[in-house]
Amino acid sequence: MSARHSVVIRLAGESGEGVISSGDILTQAAARGGYYTQTFRTFPAEIKGGPCMYQFRLSDEPIWSHGKDVDLLVCFNQEAWDLNWDSLGPDGVILYDVTEVTVPEEYLPRARPVRMEALAKEIGGSLRAKNMVAVGAVTGVIEFDTTPIEELVLRRFAHKEGVGQANIAALHAGSDEAADLKGRYPLVPPVEVDEDRMLISGNQAIAIGAVAAGVKYFAGYPITPASDILEWLSVRLPQVGGITIQCEDEIASLASVVGASYAGVKAMTATSGPGLSLMSELIGYAGTAEIPVVIVNAQRGGPSTGLPTKTEQSDLNQALYGSHGDAPRIVMAPVSVEDCFFAIIDAFNYAEQYQVPVILLTDQGLATRLEVIHRPDVSKLTLTPRKTSKGMAREDYKRYEYTADHVSPMGIPGEPNGMYVATGIEHDEYGHPAYTPEIHLNMSHKRWDKLDPLRTEARQAAHGETQPTDVAFIGFGSTFGPVREAIDRLTELGMSVGSFYPRVLAPFPAQAVIDFVADARRVIVPELNFTGQLARLIKAETGIELESVAQCNGLPFTAEAIMDLVTQEVAV
Amino acid sequence: MSTRKPSDFKSELKPIWCPGCGDFGVLASLYRSMADLDLDPTQTVVVSGIGCSSRLPHFVSTYGIHTLHGRPLPVAMGVKLANPELTVIAVGGDGDGFAIGAGHFPHAARRNVDITYLVMDNEIYGLTKGQASPTSQFQQKAPTTPFGNPEDPLNTLAFALSAGASFVARGASFNTKALTELITQAIEHKGFAYIDAMSPCVVFNNTQNLWKETVTDVAPDHDVTDRVAAFDLALRGGFTLGILYRQERLSQTERYQAILEKAKVSDVDTMLNAFNARQGVAIGKPS
Repeated sequence: MSARHSVVIRLAGESGEGVISSGDILTQAAARGGYYTQTFRTFPAEIKGGPCMYQFRLSDEPIWSHGKDVDLLVCFNQEAWDLNWDSLGPDGVILYDVTEVTVPEEYLPRARPVRMEALAKEIGGSLRAKNMVAVGAVTGVIEFDTTPIEELVLRRFAHKEGVGQANIAALHAGSDEAADLKGRYPLVPPVEVDEDRMLISGNQAIAIGAVAAGVKYFAGYPITPASDILEWLSVRLPQVGGITIQCEDEIASLASVVGASYAGVKAMTATSGPGLSLMSELIGYAGTAEIPVVIVNAQRGGPSTGLPTKTEQSDLNQALYGSHGDAPRIVMAPVSVEDCFFAIIDAFNYAEQYQVPVILLTDQGLATRLEVIHRPDVSKLTLTPRKTSKGMAREDYKRYEYTADHVSPMGIPGEPNGMYVATGIEHDEYGHPAYTPEIHLNMSHKRWDKLDPLRTEARQAAHGETQPTDVAFIGFGSTFGPVREAIDRLTELGMSVGSFYPRVLAPFPAQAVIDFVADARRVIVPELNFTGQLARLIKAETGIELESVAQCNGLPFTAEAIMDLVTQEVAV
Repeated sequence: MSTRKPSDFKSELKPIWCPGCGDFGVLASLYRSMADLDLDPTQTVVVSGIGCSSRLPHFVSTYGIHTLHGRPLPVAMGVKLANPELTVIAVGGDGDGFAIGAGHFPHAARRNVDITYLVMDNEIYGLTKGQASPTSQFQQKAPTTPFGNPEDPLNTLAFALSAGASFVARGASFNTKALTELITQAIEHKGFAYIDAMSPCVVFNNTQNLWKETVTDVAPDHDVTDRVAAFDLALRGGFTLGILYRQERLSQTERYQAILEKAKVSDVDTMLNAFNARQGVAIGKPS
């Protein structure tokens, strides 16, 4: 069989069997070997028990989605087979635990039993080495260098004498199990390039990007799938002189972020849908008092407790409209793990420049998946300072002064010339409570008009034709990857296809969208929710005709599903 | 020797409170205390929630932040953690602090957030015209309790003591000299200082004469470092004025300074290195 550019591997089993750690180890080893990787995992909402799955794709070329047809399915138990057999590609092979799993007869020609439990006990010294046997079996079929895995195993068990060696023995035993499949999927070896790459998740990219942006205060409350950010910054923020605090709830989290920002430092919180619901009132407060704050919302399946460990893009409405009154905010959505790093820096820049809350929407898929990205060049970052009262004369100072760009100098406690009372009550230019019709109208203008430049100036994401004649895709966030991959394949087929992904959704870049779709025969809006929240936004903002493709199953799109949209008609 | 006068802390805005409102006495005590302490107005932040008493920051010539109903404590914590040099005073009413905001109170207390929390307690919702509050008395009549209040009042002093407040005191708006002294000591206290300032609402729940007749002072031999004795005073009922409890304990500011000293200094480049794909060490728990 000729060498391939990409292979998709799925490991499935019971939570607690080491499925996730097996996937992590294989992903790390592939990244160390110079491959590009992207992962996708599902796990139950319970700590112990319940089915979990780890899919990863590796390639010598950059990849934009986790892949659809599984080339190698590894089943730790019967349920893993029952839940995952239909993900197999036409040529996909199966490795299964010989004692736990029964594979239907028609699949037997391409299935190989692996003595996972037996070898784990005999050679690995414990049933816990089952995942190492599985990892070994994978490296037998997909030929790649096991040296990095051995190093990682030795490092992981460095504190336990003999365990590392036993695990490596289990690894080797596993790799001999499906001997006749050896070399079934030879991969094109990665080109050795002299560039720094990182293996990192969306949450980690956001956390480190926030540090690069100069965040000095983080407050949060544990919630899946955003807790990583709170945990990571608990360690790292004090290393750069900042404070991370776990609060009693999401209300206190954002409230204290408002306080810290008022006192002059860059401050943020991170949460998921239920937490964003609790923060709604404070979003309106920060918008009215014109205090910069950054809120990361890693979306999960909703509504209510919903699907805590699955992915969805159903908090768009809440991000856009949550909070009473006409509450201004900026809503952003990074389109990839790499973009998470740059988007959080943009988020801080926008928050500081416009003195407004910025909500950054990711989702469970983007937040938790591991991706190989180019190392960002920190020296090229531009950070926008806040406009403050520094140097102004006291008698001149009006905190909410009407200015040409509608942004007023902010007094920072300690500054002699900026004393004022921040308030969420309607106020005059001094910040004094005032409710005349004229003031309410003028202040509403101030709070909203200041954001207008972003409609045209914000950095947006796009791929393919800038004015496609066949199909124009409009989306937000994590669907960018599979759509991008589909665009490349459709372009190879001779079609004129492109995508436009607003990274800033509020204020909405209406004219850019209208221009983008001007010549398109079809406009398709794929998104991961039930009601087509983005499609409704686009219709409201532009009035264009479009086809809404709202997928609501807790899973990300595949590039293949996007391809199918173009070859099949969609009900408008 | 103080160089500032109480009037230096008056803002250009006149209080919007009803004539005779207890909050005037509390505000006067705060001005005087600020002058006695010679606070630098530019280094002082008064934080409030929503309610009659929460308008107070607008009447003080310092930095201020008039937040949301029930949220002054977490906002004040953020201010103090972001800039420990600032003197932070949170103010509000009994509804703001012990109904909608009660979830934050025990956490501010146990963290020993280095702020003063001055609650103007009138046992009623004044701004919304007289509904029962968490400190309203059992059987008290109000628009929302036409058959008499079916609920017992919250004992805020005992609540503060049990949650770990390191300074617990009670004052009264009609006794400004003593209240001024309490506020001064609270601001000087290192850690979370709670003052229950009895402040009658003369329009919807005029308890002024009743309170004036019933208040007593904390006995001179009361040991303010004895938490059990403080509980005893708090639980006995009646209106005892003075400091019930004072404890020397690490403030939140000091605890976070210790964390900052413990953390090894790093930078963004070092953090990025940890994710190097060719070395792969940063997956999973932070190292």
